[in-house]
Amino acid sequence: MTFRYDDNNKYHRFGRYALVTAMSLVAFVLVWWVVSIIADTNVLPTPLETVNALVDFFEDGYLGNSAWDYIWSSLKLFIQGFLLAMVLAVPLGLVLGFSKTLNTFVTPVIEVLRPIAPMAWAPVFIYGISYGTGPILVVFIGIFFPLLTNIIFGVKKIDPTLIDAARTLGANKLQLFTKVMAPSAVPYVMNGIKVGLGVGWMCIVAAEMYSPMSLGVGYCISNMCMSGLWPSTFAMLIVIAVLGILTTTTAEYLQKYISKRMGVE
Amino acid sequence: MVNQNEVITNEGGSVHTGVQEGESFIEIKNLAKTYKRDEVETVAIEDFSLDIKKGELISVVGPSGCGKTTILRMIAGLLEPTAGTITIAGRPCKEPGPDRGMVFQDFALLPWRSVIKNVELGLEIAGVPKEERRERAEKYLEIVGLEKFKDSRINELSGGMKQRVGIARALVNKPDVILMDEPFGALDAQTRNIMQAGLVKILDKTDQTIVFITHSVDEAVFLSDRIVILTKRPASIREIIEIPWPRPRDRASPEFTALRKRILEELERENVLE
Repeated sequence: MTFRYDDNNKYHRFGRYALVTAMSLVAFVLVWWVVSIIADTNVLPTPLETVNALVDFFEDGYLGNSAWDYIWSSLKLFIQGFLLAMVLAVPLGLVLGFSKTLNTFVTPVIEVLRPIAPMAWAPVFIYGISYGTGPILVVFIGIFFPLLTNIIFGVKKIDPTLIDAARTLGANKLQLFTKVMAPSAVPYVMNGIKVGLGVGWMCIVAAEMYSPMSLGVGYCISNMCMSGLWPSTFAMLIVIAVLGILTTTTAEYLQKYISKRMGVE
Repeated sequence: MVNQNEVITNEGGSVHTGVQEGESFIEIKNLAKTYKRDEVETVAIEDFSLDIKKGELISVVGPSGCGKTTILRMIAGLLEPTAGTITIAGRPCKEPGPDRGMVFQDFALLPWRSVIKNVELGLEIAGVPKEERRERAEKYLEIVGLEKFKDSRINELSGGMKQRVGIARALVNKPDVILMDEPFGALDAQTRNIMQAGLVKILDKTDQTIVFITHSVDEAVFLSDRIVILTKRPASIREIIEIPWPRPRDRASPEFTALRKRILEELERENVLE
């Protein structure tokens, strides 16, 4: 019996997807391997050396701290920055979405601050404020603006007939907010979170490099680099990549799930 | 079900609509609406007066863009009149309120709520306890024939089903009047006819006063106790036609087609083709 690919069969489609994805990763590793052998330099370890360093990192830790210490340290900063951004951006975004005057008043400030790369704030916050809270603020900046602009956009997109409908049912201002406006903004908040988490994760790694106090993956990688531990450095790159992928896919999944729950496809 | 003879014998004769003839109950006096933007004034409605009786279905037809919806939104309290007054049972209505339910052309259902939670919305806003809310919502979902779909999500429903939820949502609050803004305009012809027949059945069960905006003369003749024909912009009343026939009505009967033709001709004289 010969196998025939059938595009209408979901198992076939998934199998094909998995196969091609795996091939892509295998091709990447192969190219890396070939380049590392040709280049023949300490700076670029082979994939095998990198995997060995990765195993060592998780087994023995680094500079007396375990791998999980470093990861948890970064995650902690990340979560704090994220929560701070949520606490400030959600109410501010909702208010700015509703009030035309306030929005006009605040928009110029936002438009001046928004294009500043979050990393440009890193030295300001870290050396200017404190080694401890500085990195949190960098993450905060990275997440805050995408979150804020998405929420403002979401509130403006609320279907005015839904507001009319609730008003004809006798809703007061507070009920309009809790029963119509806030729920309709939720999918946009989620979209903001999705975008913000991606940016925030990039910020944390870089911000930690500035901070002698931090103990996260960013500190870890810059220290390994400066000590010439190249296989460990590359192992850390993989750790950072995996953590980044986990954050964004979780956010993406949540966003899709909640949008569906809220009746937005 | 449709009794052809009855329709004929009642033509022009005694009122026999199945709905009790009530007292005048919504009074609209000298209503006007002028939009003003950057010094440009547009008169949408001019000197519109109408008495609506309790329990009647009155429909408003007119050339498209003549301001039918503007009138309805003013009754709902969603739009402030430039001049004139609207009173319901003697109370002036300025703000929107649960005494005037509204059914929207594009349904205006909250997509994050289930069918029954949408119907419950007005009761929830009024602070009705949960148990009673559920009970009343279930009753009205049964009236519109959606009791099996009470836990469905809105985006799982067809257009006709969505509008039945919209009608149940308005009915459940027992408003003095339901304002329907081209409620079947977004539906295909077949669904439209089914919905019209369904509305006739609901009228039998609830004795609800309804103001019905439509651009379909056929729909107006099928449903209404009275039809208000508007002039083109600025809109005022051109003519009010009483239809004393019982419902359900037979679209193929000679009276029906004759009346439809007459109204269409009137509208054509208003210089706009339907």
